[in-house]
Amino acid sequence: MRSSRALAAVALAVTTATAAAACSSGSSSSSPTAAPSANSASSASTTAKVTLTWWNNATNQPLLGIYEAAIKGFEAKNPNVTITNVPVQNELLQDTKIPLALEGNNPPNIYQQWGGGVLGQQVTSGKVANITADVSSWISGVSGANGWQANGQQYGVPVDLHVVGFWYRKDIFSKVGITVPTTLAQLESDDAKLRAAGYAPIAVGSKDRWPDAFWWEYFALRDCPQATVQSAIKSECFSASCFGTASTDLAAFLKTNPFQTGFLGTSSQQGAGSSAGMVASGKAAMELQGDWDPSVMEGVSTNKSLSSELGWFPFPQTPGSAGSQTAVLGGGDGFSCTGSTAQVQACADFLQYLDSPSVQAQIVGPGQTGEPVITSESSAITLPATQTAAAYFKTASYEELYFDTALPTKPGQNLDTAIANYFSSPSSSTASAIANSPQTP
Amino acid sequence: MAAITQLSAPGSAPGHSGRYALRRWTVIPATYLVAIVAFGLTVVPLLFVIVDGFRTNGDINNSPAGWPHPWVASNYTSILTSASFWEFIGNSALIATVATTLTLVLGSMAALALSQYEFKGREVFYTVFVSGILFPIGVGALPLYLLLQRLGLLDNQFGVALPEAAFALPFTMIILRPFLRAIPGELREAALVDGASRFRYFGQILLPLAKPALITVGLLAFVTSWNQYLLPLLVLQTSSHFTLPLGTYTFQTQYSQNDAGIMAFTAMAMVPALGVFMFAQRYIVAGAAGAVKG
Amino acid sequence: MSRSTAIEAGLGPAPAGSPAAAGPLRAPGWRGPKLRKKTELTILLAPALILFVGFVFIPIVIAAYYSFYNWSGYGPLSDPIGFRNYSYAFHDPAFIQAIEHTLELTVASVVIQGPLSIGIALLLNRKFFGRGFLRTVVFAPYVLPPAVTGVMWSLILQPGGFADQLLKAFGLGGLVQLWLANVHVVLFTVFVVLTWQYLGFGIVLLLAGLQNIPIELKQAAAIDGASPWQVTRRITLPLLAPTIRIWGFLTVIGSLQIFDIVWVLTEGGPAGASSTITSYMVLQGVDSTDFGFASAIAVILFVFCLVFALIYQRFALRRDMQGAITRAVG
Repeated sequence: MRSSRALAAVALAVTTATAAAACSSGSSSSSPTAAPSANSASSASTTAKVTLTWWNNATNQPLLGIYEAAIKGFEAKNPNVTITNVPVQNELLQDTKIPLALEGNNPPNIYQQWGGGVLGQQVTSGKVANITADVSSWISGVSGANGWQANGQQYGVPVDLHVVGFWYRKDIFSKVGITVPTTLAQLESDDAKLRAAGYAPIAVGSKDRWPDAFWWEYFALRDCPQATVQSAIKSECFSASCFGTASTDLAAFLKTNPFQTGFLGTSSQQGAGSSAGMVASGKAAMELQGDWDPSVMEGVSTNKSLSSELGWFPFPQTPGSAGSQTAVLGGGDGFSCTGSTAQVQACADFLQYLDSPSVQAQIVGPGQTGEPVITSESSAITLPATQTAAAYFKTASYEELYFDTALPTKPGQNLDTAIANYFSSPSSSTASAIANSPQTP
Repeated sequence: MAAITQLSAPGSAPGHSGRYALRRWTVIPATYLVAIVAFGLTVVPLLFVIVDGFRTNGDINNSPAGWPHPWVASNYTSILTSASFWEFIGNSALIATVATTLTLVLGSMAALALSQYEFKGREVFYTVFVSGILFPIGVGALPLYLLLQRLGLLDNQFGVALPEAAFALPFTMIILRPFLRAIPGELREAALVDGASRFRYFGQILLPLAKPALITVGLLAFVTSWNQYLLPLLVLQTSSHFTLPLGTYTFQTQYSQNDAGIMAFTAMAMVPALGVFMFAQRYIVAGAAGAVKG
Repeated sequence: MSRSTAIEAGLGPAPAGSPAAAGPLRAPGWRGPKLRKKTELTILLAPALILFVGFVFIPIVIAAYYSFYNWSGYGPLSDPIGFRNYSYAFHDPAFIQAIEHTLELTVASVVIQGPLSIGIALLLNRKFFGRGFLRTVVFAPYVLPPAVTGVMWSLILQPGGFADQLLKAFGLGGLVQLWLANVHVVLFTVFVVLTWQYLGFGIVLLLAGLQNIPIELKQAAAIDGASPWQVTRRITLPLLAPTIRIWGFLTVIGSLQIFDIVWVLTEGGPAGASSTITSYMVLQGVDSTDFGFASAIAVILFVFCLVFALIYQRFALRRDMQGAITRAVG
């Protein structure tokens, strides 16, 4: 096992919700596929017909086609299994359909899972299958799988990973005569030059709140040691003083006027006026976003040469601060399983198939969804900027899951909202609101 | 006639007195001006939707307010030629028609019950109906979903139409009951003296007189059902059962949004609903004019 | 109360001895009128009642029941907390802010959309060429799904977008604002969009109400020498009043519950500057998987609406029970 992969895998530290009293080991013992499943991941030795429904957010090409091809490939190898593809728009899926289905009697057998504390909450419904035994033979080859665990048990499997960094326009940088900044001070001076040249230096989709959170969370990663960050997430309280430093640093950065006009009302992904659209059309020079940004930009731009104009660099360093200078923020997409024993087993087998090298190459290559969970396939990434991101990812000291996913839903949302309020008016009171925000009543 | 004679202002002769002339040249044109402005403000964004359907996303991105450059018909043509669009329209139409019919039939029956009869607890029933409108639908979604699941109505157009009709009942009652009560009692006396049963009176005299109200209620119910997206989202699982608003979401990718496609889709989706309206509004005419005669 | 209104008001007991007391409904030959009446009532009322209670009332009651629990929506209801959801809400400044905004939008809706709707409805009531087309156009915004309206207006209201360019073209460039990003302006922007969407609803409702006004009354008044304005003021408007009151009721209730447009335009932001009770509910409850809390907010909203409805019914709608038209004709 290459050390960097092990590092990344082990270091994807996810803490589960301790606040939710129901999130105890009791729920895992009640789920349908506890220990005795002797059949591991090799293909179906049962001949009984199994039908599965698959809820995912790939409503458009190219990922839609890739997923459908994956279904066909899997069904060819497992003729007794039929999978029905049900793509649903992302927010509707995440906020409405999945939660409701988990409350009802017939949740989808394979459904989109973003991991973290939210996964922990879903496990309390008793409907999410514990697939630790079903995946034990192959899960160790999957990076980041820790993020899909609760109470040390595997409740889901990732199929791609994401990292958050700066996506920038190389052509604008060279036109203005600046280079990729490595420190925060350099970023600020680059911003000044960009603004003087008439560009919005950095675009941010503040309306959606979570892009703001990326900023604060990166300052937190730079200003706080790893242990502090992880224990804060576990205890759902950001009162440690280094978080206050992060807020202050963010306020100082905001004072340098780095964002586009009216950024408080800009969305991050919705259409032409979004922050992604601004970078795509060259109105802004860069954006701090996840590695889905290129596919977002493609959807809102006629700029054919975008893929060659786009570059990537990590969040700048802040020398002298207490946190890690090479920590990254990130996450991933994955899936969880529900249903009868046979369905869960088929689901686990399908997930193994999605994590096989050939499918992974499709998902991150033409699918452009980020980094593969099988690290060897990162060579399949086509976009140069994403390749840069993937390469850096391997060298990161650790990856932290975006806080609003690491935390259970409510504290995570509270944190996002508090940070967004801070963006609107940075002050000591809004800063302390951030510190206390995750606490539920 | 005493009431009427009170209404003519003392001292003003018919025709054009000085005060009237003043009004003619200021108030009335001003009213029309306001109307034109209001009309303009209404229409321009609508045109925006339609015209933007002829643009590409990149074009919209580059100049949010410009004319199409170039004009692309592909958004519209790809919608019109996609089988799923017509499927969506069919589903939406089916559901909306069922929901509207149910609303009108059951709603007018209930409104008749609560306006033409007097019985103990009548106001309680009315308040129960009205209370339905006081609760935001989104929060009732979870219990409703569980109920529909138990009834086996999931992934079924009726699982959408029935709750829609139920949710339309409150404002149906609110509009219909006063209309029905406002129809004068002399009519009922006359009909019943002539030997008609109550039901005949309702069906042949009362309801036709309430036509403007019925058409209005039907129209509002139809439009509400047409634009519903929460209920279909919860209930419908197979994409071939989806309705038009759900179809809009096919223009949103995992991460971003195809604005031009959404605009074109919306423009097309408006057409049936507006068609129904243009047809129906002709019937919201002076139908009650004869109510008081004789 | 005149005999006609007594009978119209529901066949109430007529003065003893009068011909009406025998009443058309106690016509000779009908056996057990009370039983017949009950049967008719049941036939008429039951279907709607069953549908409504089943699909609306019961889910609402269940949802209200959730409000007394700390519940994420997953798993069993295992953590009853009494009124704690409610007390937390009222101690949350964000919720108070949301209530303020909601009330502001509601009042503005009635005060501004009312006269506008009435005026335009009166205009569209006259016969003129293209009347049907104009009515359709005016109604069209209401036909748009609110979510799409939000998307459309987001585009129009971008910095430097269509709205700004239009203002500049009319020489009003000084009025340009960051419509959706400026915390002092955003609520006003939301209101403008709401008005755009819902004006058509009011106009159609009022048009229907105008049809109920017998044309003979207006003609008689005109013959008597009343000017068109006087006819409007003294006949049309008073007779339109019941419809206006209904419009008012539906508008207030609708405004208290406004959600889709606000959510798509701003999600209640920035920093809660355009939050409404329902956006707060979705943000703090549904999106945060705190269904118990969301239900509590919904119940609070319900109580607001109920209080308003009861007061309104007592003072405003009560008058309509006596039949406005019959009284005017005397």
